[in-house]
Amino acid sequence: MQFGWPESWGRAQRGEQLQLGMRNLYILPTGFGILWLAGSALLQAVGIQTQRNGPLLLSFLMLGLMLLALHLTHFNLQGLVLRCGRPKPGFADETLLYPIRLQSSCQRQAIALQLAQGDPAFPRRLAAGSSCVGLAWQCRHRGQQTPGALLIRSTSPLGLFVCWTRWTPPVTQLVYPARRDGPVAVTSSAPADDSAACKVTPGHNGSDDWHDLRPHRLEDGQSRVAWKVLAQGRGRHSKVFSDPVEAPPLLLPAPGIPRERALEHLSAEVWRRSLRGEMFGLVLPEVRITPGHGHDHRDRCLMALASCP
Amino acid sequence: MPLKPMHPARGLPTRRIQWLALAALALGCVGLDPGWLLGAFTLALVLVAALKLLEARDRRGRRLVALLQLVCCGLQAAQQPDLLPSLLQLLAAVLALAGLLQLESGQSLPLGLVLRRSLRVLGAALPMALVLFLLVPRVGPFGTSTAGPTGRASTGLSDTLDPGGIASLVDEDSPAARVAFSDDEPPPTGGRYWRVLVHSQFDGSRWQRDEDAEQTPRFPADVSAMAEVPGQPERDQVWLVEPSAFSAVPWDGAARPLSTRLHPEPEGELRLLRPALERRSYRLKELASPLGWQRQPPRRSDLQLPPTANPRLRELGRRWSQLGGPEARVLAAQAWFQSQNFRYDRNPGTLPQVNGLDAFLFERQLGFCGHYASSFSALMRAAGVPSRVVSGYLGGEWVVPMGGAPYLALRQSDAHAWSEVWLPKRGWTRVDPSVWANGTSGENLADRLGGAPTGNASTQQGWRWLQRQWWGLDMAWSRWWLGFDQSRQEALLAWLLGSQRWALGSLILGGMALGLGGALVMLRRDRQPPGDRQARAMAELLNQLRRLKIEARPGETLESLAERAGARYPALADPLQELMACHREQRFAPPATDRQAQRKLQQRWRLARRRLMSRNKGAIRQKS
Repeated sequence: MQFGWPESWGRAQRGEQLQLGMRNLYILPTGFGILWLAGSALLQAVGIQTQRNGPLLLSFLMLGLMLLALHLTHFNLQGLVLRCGRPKPGFADETLLYPIRLQSSCQRQAIALQLAQGDPAFPRRLAAGSSCVGLAWQCRHRGQQTPGALLIRSTSPLGLFVCWTRWTPPVTQLVYPARRDGPVAVTSSAPADDSAACKVTPGHNGSDDWHDLRPHRLEDGQSRVAWKVLAQGRGRHSKVFSDPVEAPPLLLPAPGIPRERALEHLSAEVWRRSLRGEMFGLVLPEVRITPGHGHDHRDRCLMALASCP
Repeated sequence: MPLKPMHPARGLPTRRIQWLALAALALGCVGLDPGWLLGAFTLALVLVAALKLLEARDRRGRRLVALLQLVCCGLQAAQQPDLLPSLLQLLAAVLALAGLLQLESGQSLPLGLVLRRSLRVLGAALPMALVLFLLVPRVGPFGTSTAGPTGRASTGLSDTLDPGGIASLVDEDSPAARVAFSDDEPPPTGGRYWRVLVHSQFDGSRWQRDEDAEQTPRFPADVSAMAEVPGQPERDQVWLVEPSAFSAVPWDGAARPLSTRLHPEPEGELRLLRPALERRSYRLKELASPLGWQRQPPRRSDLQLPPTANPRLRELGRRWSQLGGPEARVLAAQAWFQSQNFRYDRNPGTLPQVNGLDAFLFERQLGFCGHYASSFSALMRAAGVPSRVVSGYLGGEWVVPMGGAPYLALRQSDAHAWSEVWLPKRGWTRVDPSVWANGTSGENLADRLGGAPTGNASTQQGWRWLQRQWWGLDMAWSRWWLGFDQSRQEALLAWLLGSQRWALGSLILGGMALGLGGALVMLRRDRQPPGDRQARAMAELLNQLRRLKIEARPGETLESLAERAGARYPALADPLQELMACHREQRFAPPATDRQAQRKLQQRWRLARRRLMSRNKGAIRQKS
């Protein structure tokens, strides 16, 4: 999305930090401001024609308010300091939050921050001190992305002038491939010649064959509780089985599907398996992530998907 | 720091304040005249603003409503400049601005807060507006149109004076005009003749104004004569006239107009080029010397009499014409009136349509001011003295309200008619033949003309008292507000700049810069965080000690500082101890939930501070 006129006018500022001031703020009357002037002129004409003081004073009052609004609108932004925060990764085609730290020595009315690729801005009040806002935006592409130009604008207090600046925050945000359900190739993490992994190990027939006990943990589930031992009053233990566990799967891009689409399917699959707490690995052309589970493992896989060449 | 998504309230603030502004505007529309173009336009604009407010779904639409409301305020102010409508217009303007401020803030704020903010912003812009209002040279109107309200009923004088056709006078107690004087002193009772219309055309029974009296003014306005001379002890008259059917307005005939819209006519009417059916105000400056109209030679028509009507009247006049000069003829007429049994009566009955004045003069001898003025003027014409009838007001009630400016109130029941005769040495001279009836004097004629009050007297007295008080305020407002016109501005500029008019631009720019600077300082201070009240109070206390050369040392506690100060200035020891105790309590005691307890604590602090300051002065004196 591009900003309209006059916000698209003027040089966009760069750098991780931006302090708003005379050198980087632009101000022009709004359409309403021009109408306001026309209203003032109409009252001036009526005052002259009827020789009444009321319309004359109101007309001058409107001019005075306009002059005052010029400065107040500028002051509303002047001195505000913006810094880039550390953005958290997110998925493409979904709403991302881009953090901006704001530092103000006084409270400010109705300031709108809007990213070029973001939702329409709604003005908000800023209290004195530091605050951090997350600017919602969407990105269609994976990888390290910047949200583009950020428009900072205000028309407060009377809407007669618009004061603005544009800033391109340089800090990138990691964008994972969009989560899109679809086919994913899965292979076993066991070596190819180790097809006997599925085989039953001697002496370990069935799930009743456990060889050890260990203190019970919640994640072990009820099925592993050694009830007999519990009944004997020896405490709650879980059975440790020596059953041959199936080797955790390795996820690969599905063959025959465009690469980006395949990565999106993988992104959705990684997310789903991670939610289920399953163990899985990931194999990409230049990256191989050994099976694992947990948030860190998930994020590692997603990062690999995001930065896959 | 938690990351807050940038999704503040997306909806626009409520429309309550904008509806309130519209309600105030609708109230202000009550007195507007839809028959006048400006009145109709204002009504239409208020309606459009209401419809737009109903329809508006976005910020742009709501902004437009606020602007329309402000413009409507200005249009109403152009039509209703009196005190009460002005207050209503001010309320509407404050509410319209409050609505706009709330809209731009994007929040639905409490009404009180938004109104305070609106008043602050208006107050900040007011000095700049006043600089422009007072100093930017006034421009005259783009034409001399007197178009104005058309549909309002009017009361008062008539351009035709036909006393013979009136059986009885009805007491009309409604207000006609008010006049205030710059020195707040009433005019002499005998000199309260306020002329309005001059009737020069006589057809035997009726006196009429000139046909072209309501046309373009014949005397051009003398702008140079309107400039006020600072320091000259002439007093001003500020007039407020109720709507009437004529452009002619009341005046004493001897004051100088202070506006280009006021034109003294050759026959002595003062015409105000404003819509006659609106409430008008104007300023006059009293003069000792007569104005031009009094020296305007009579025309042939001022001697015209119908050749056949009222033969006895003409015969009497012809006899007086043998006397030496006009003065002698006037004296003869006075002697004749006073020798007859003329009586003043408000219900004399009608006169015959033919030779009516003969019937009045020689048979009935009973009538009101119109009969006397009409017959005397006709007699003078018959005697060869140019004459005419003037109608206006006589007397008036001097009102000193509890608040506001004292003023003379004229009511429609004060309407009166008198004669004017041309005396070569004195010009047009007023003669009031009504005072010759039964030998009455002019001082109490006004009381007699007033008639008896109607209706419930006590209720009317109470109502009238309230009305007078309000009018007093209204008069003060008119003197101050409506009285600031082109001439007043000229006087102000002459006082400020003298002959250095070239500096006017710099003066305006300087005034604007000062106004803007003051406004920005005031509004920027409001944006600062409120801060810690106790810390500020303590900082003030430490400043006070610093002036006594007692500085807090690094790491020193407040208690030891107080002890040190007490040891050096024993008189300060007690209040300092009290202040420290208060500070401890305010800072470290559990916060008082009771507001009264908080207030008591603050009061203790203030008292101790006051004691400290009074002893502080003593300490400084001792030291010196």
